Amino acid sequence: MTVTPFSRSSFLAGFRAIVPLWLGIAPFAAAYAVTARAGGLNIFETSWMSLSVFAGAAQFAAAGLFGQGASPLSIIATTAVLNVRHVLYGLSLAQKVKVTWPQRLMAAQFLTDEAYGVAINAPGLNYAYLLGAELSLYAVWNVFTLLGSLLGSLVPDPGALGVGIVFPLAFLGLLTPHLSSRIPLVVALVSGLIAWSLSRIVPGGLVVLLTGILGALFGAWLSTRGTKT
Amino acid sequence: MTVLLTLLGMWAVTFAARLAGLSLHRLVLPPFWLAFLRFVPISVFAALIVPDIAGSPDWPKKLIACAVAAALLWRTKALAWGIVGGFAVYWALRQV
Repeated sequence: MTVTPFSRSSFLAGFRAIVPLWLGIAPFAAAYAVTARAGGLNIFETSWMSLSVFAGAAQFAAAGLFGQGASPLSIIATTAVLNVRHVLYGLSLAQKVKVTWPQRLMAAQFLTDEAYGVAINAPGLNYAYLLGAELSLYAVWNVFTLLGSLLGSLVPDPGALGVGIVFPLAFLGLLTPHLSSRIPLVVALVSGLIAWSLSRIVPGGLVVLLTGILGALFGAWLSTRGTKT
Repeated sequence: MTVLLTLLGMWAVTFAARLAGLSLHRLVLPPFWLAFLRFVPISVFAALIVPDIAGSPDWPKKLIACAVAAALLWRTKALAWGIVGGFAVYWALRQV
């Protein structure tokens, strides 16, 4: 792995790979903004959270907690719990793409579930592609956060629109190329079962983290079983 | 002021998590942990799909949409077709 020069075409390829997901992201960004405004944040604070924190589930949770008058520490702790899974994404990406220090800071700031998913599946992944995918999501998330906080109550409820289905469909699309043999298929099924059980007792971000770890441990055990190390 | 400090704290914990994994690129891993990282996308994607469908009140419609999307993905190998096709089926099922 060597650091490759920044390629415009890779950046655009990454950017385009996220475009089908805009349909789901835009209404959720707007709905987040409406929730945050209802929770008592002003337009600047609502947009600042999208620009800095940039993490969908955590932002929704925080918006709700602000509305309930929760303590700052509990809001920050909830955010941490929901976002620890990014450690796993970073570890996974670090095996496939070599980046310099400034690039790492950029790649970290804009990392999301969706960008990770698209990037980890990209053949010949490089930094430009990763950043393209990340900024594609960042752009639409922030534009629609601003629109949502300006238009307020005119924003339709994503639940009523049914656009949330876009996310499981996208991850299904990212999962299927991995299921070419028996072990990955078994790992996917077992992970699904683990996630389903955990989702009844712990919050979403933690479900992803714990399932991510347990499922991958199971896969590593299955595939290295019997080989001497 | 409290709100802005809270937002800064949220940013700090999120950024730290994102940076931590990416910073461990020089780690030389034994085969078991390399295999572990290869399975991370699979287990994570499953975790992002299943609770979303199973925890939803209209899960049968979502399940059908996913089945159609899976068939389309298998035929076309294109992410966009899976999303568009699955969404169209789900949307149609919601109208009946």
